[in-house]
Amino acid sequence: MALRLPHTARYVAAALFVCAAQPLFAHTINYALEKAPVQDVVGFYAKLGILHIIPYGADHILFIVGLCLLNTKLKTLLWQATAFTVAHSITLALSMKNIIVAPGAVVEPIISLSILFVAVENLLISRLSPWRVLAVFCFGLIHGMGFASALNEIGLPRDKFYVSILSFNVGVELGQIAVIALVFALIILPFGKKPWYKKFIVYPFSIIIAAIALYWTIERVFVS
Amino acid sequence: MKKSSIYTIVVAAFLLAVGGIILKYRLDKNKTDPAYYSLQQRNGALAATAEWVSTRNNAEALLIKIRNNEADVKSMLGLTALFIREARITGNHMYYDMAALKYVNKVLAIDSANFEALIYKSIVQLSQHHFADALQTAEKARRINPYNAFVYGILVDGNVEMGYYDSAVANSDRMVSIRPDIRSYSRISYLREIYGDYPGAKEAMKMAVEAGIPGDEATEWARIQLGHLYENTGDLQNAEKQYLTALGELNAYAYALAGLGRLAMGRKDYAAAIRYFQQADSSINDYSFKEQMADAYALGNDKPMAERLMREVIENMSKDAQQGDKDANIGHYADRELAYAYLKINEYDDALRHALLEYNRRPQNIDVNEAVAWAYYKKGDMAKAQAHIKEALKTNSKNPVLLCRAGLISYKNGDSAMAKSLLQQVFQNQPNIEEPLRTEASQILQTIK
Repeated sequence: MALRLPHTARYVAAALFVCAAQPLFAHTINYALEKAPVQDVVGFYAKLGILHIIPYGADHILFIVGLCLLNTKLKTLLWQATAFTVAHSITLALSMKNIIVAPGAVVEPIISLSILFVAVENLLISRLSPWRVLAVFCFGLIHGMGFASALNEIGLPRDKFYVSILSFNVGVELGQIAVIALVFALIILPFGKKPWYKKFIVYPFSIIIAAIALYWTIERVFVS
Repeated sequence: MKKSSIYTIVVAAFLLAVGGIILKYRLDKNKTDPAYYSLQQRNGALAATAEWVSTRNNAEALLIKIRNNEADVKSMLGLTALFIREARITGNHMYYDMAALKYVNKVLAIDSANFEALIYKSIVQLSQHHFADALQTAEKARRINPYNAFVYGILVDGNVEMGYYDSAVANSDRMVSIRPDIRSYSRISYLREIYGDYPGAKEAMKMAVEAGIPGDEATEWARIQLGHLYENTGDLQNAEKQYLTALGELNAYAYALAGLGRLAMGRKDYAAAIRYFQQADSSINDYSFKEQMADAYALGNDKPMAERLMREVIENMSKDAQQGDKDANIGHYADRELAYAYLKINEYDDALRHALLEYNRRPQNIDVNEAVAWAYYKKGDMAKAQAHIKEALKTNSKNPVLLCRAGLISYKNGDSAMAKSLLQQVFQNQPNIEEPLRTEASQILQTIK
C-alpha cells in the first residue's frame, strides 16, 4: 500500500524559497565566447553540463542513484527524471537572469539535505507515491540554483545567452541519463526483481548515500 | 511506531533542518555584514603613525553622524572614501571593499545618479577585479560629469584591464588634457609601458613623481613604479635609489621593501630578500609578498618552506574567491593570480583552469593571455601556448618576463629565429627578472647561438 505524504511536505517548496530574497550576483559575462561560433558555444556548454554531473557532480550523482533505487519501473523513473529536469531548468534560467537569486551557503546544504531525504525515504516507503514527483520537482528547483552558481563561475556570452543555458541543460541531461543507464544496467535490471533486492541493495545503498549526504550537509553548514 | 509516523517525523526534521540552514545563514550574514562597519586595527609600522590616529578619529566621527542619521549621504561618502584609502594602505581589501560597498550602495539607493558614489563604486569594483562592472559604473559617472579627470582615470584602468587599449589611450589623453597631475602622468606611463616604450614610460613616471607630494602614499607608489621600470630595463642602481628614497619618505613602506627584496633576489642574496619580504608582509596584506618570499626560499634551497608558503597563499586566495561566491559584496576575482600560484607548485591543471576562467572574463587583456599561454606551455600544449602568447604580444610590450616566456614558447614551437630575437631583446639590458625563468631563457639562447 502506498504511503501518503503528510501535509507538511506540501510546504517544502515554500520553505525552500524563503532564502531567495538576498541578491547574490549578477551573472558573469563570458567575453571569450562572444566571439566564438555558435557550434563552439553549444559544444562548450554541453560538455560543461556533462562534466558538472560526471565526474564533478558527486552530489547530483548520489541524488539520481537515490531516486533510481526504489524505481524498478522505467516509466516511474522517467516521471521523476522529467520533474527534476523541468524544475532545474526553470531555476537555472531564472537564476542566470537574476530573476531569482539564492546564496550558495543556503543552496548547497539544502542540496545535500535533499539527497539525505531521498535516501531516508527509500528506507521508509515500500512504493512510490505521486508525492515523490512533487518532492523531486522541488529538489530540482534547488539543484538548478546549484547549477547556476557553477555556471556563473564560467559566465555566459550575452549574445548567446539562451543557447548557452540550453546547451548546458542538455549536457546535464546527458550526464543524468548516463548515470540512470548505469544504475539500471548494473543494479536494477540484474537484481530488481530478486526477492532480496530491497534488503541487500536498496537498504545498504540508501544507508551509505544517507551517511555521505549527512556528512556533506554538516560540512557545508559548519565548515565551508 | 508506525512507518507513516516515522515518515512524518522525517519530513518535519527535514523542514526544520532547512529552516535551521536559513537561520544560520542569516545569523552568519549579520556577523559578516554588520549594521555599521568600523576600522580594523593596523599592523606593524602602519599602526605607529600620526596619520593612523587622525584616520581613526575621522572614522569615529563619521560613524557617529551616520548612526544619528541613516540618510547622511555626505558622511557615508566620507566613510566610503576613508575605507577605500584604508584598503589601499593596509591591503585588507576583503574587509574594506565590503564596507565601502555597503555605504556606497546605501547612497546610490537614495540617489542613483550621485557622481561621487558612482566613482567610489567603480573604484571598489576595480579593486575586486570586476573590471567590466567598473567600466559600466564609471561610464555612467562620465555621462553625469564628463569634465572630471578622475572618472577618465578609472576608464583608463578599466579599459586596460579589459584589454581595450585604444579606448584606454583615448581616455588617458582626455584625462591629461583636463588635469595633468600625478594620476594622469602615471597612467600615461603605464600605457607607454604596455606599448613597449620604456624610455617614454620612465619619463612620464618621473613627471608623475615630481607632480606628487613627497611622502604622500600616491607619490611613493609612483616612485616604486618608476623603480620597477628601471628594474625591467636593467638599471638596477636607479631602481634601488627609488626604493630607498621611498623608504626615506614613507617609513617601512611595504612596496619599497619588496622592491629591495627583488633586487636582493637578483644578487642571489636570498636571506636578505626573505627579510625584506617578511618586513613588507608584516604590515600589508598583499599575497605577492608571500609569493616572492616563497621564490626566495625555493632559490635558497628551502623548498618545503617555499611550498608551504605557496599553499598558504593559494588557500587564502581561494577562500577569498569562495567567499565571493557567497556574497557579491566580497567577490574578488583572483584567477590570474591563482593560476600563477598553482604554476609555482607545478599543479598545471588547476593553473590552466584558473587562467581560462580569467580569460573568459577578459580575453583581450595581454597579461591574461600571457598567463594562459604560460599555463599551456607548462602543460606541454605548445600550439595553444603560441596562439595566446601572440595575443599577449599584440601591443609590442617589451616586458622582459613576457619576452622570455614568448621566446621559450617560440623555441618549443620550432621557431628558433623568433625565439632568438625575443630572448636577445631580453638580455641586451640585463633586467632583473625572476629565476628560474632567467636561467631557462638564457640556456635556450645559448643553445640557439
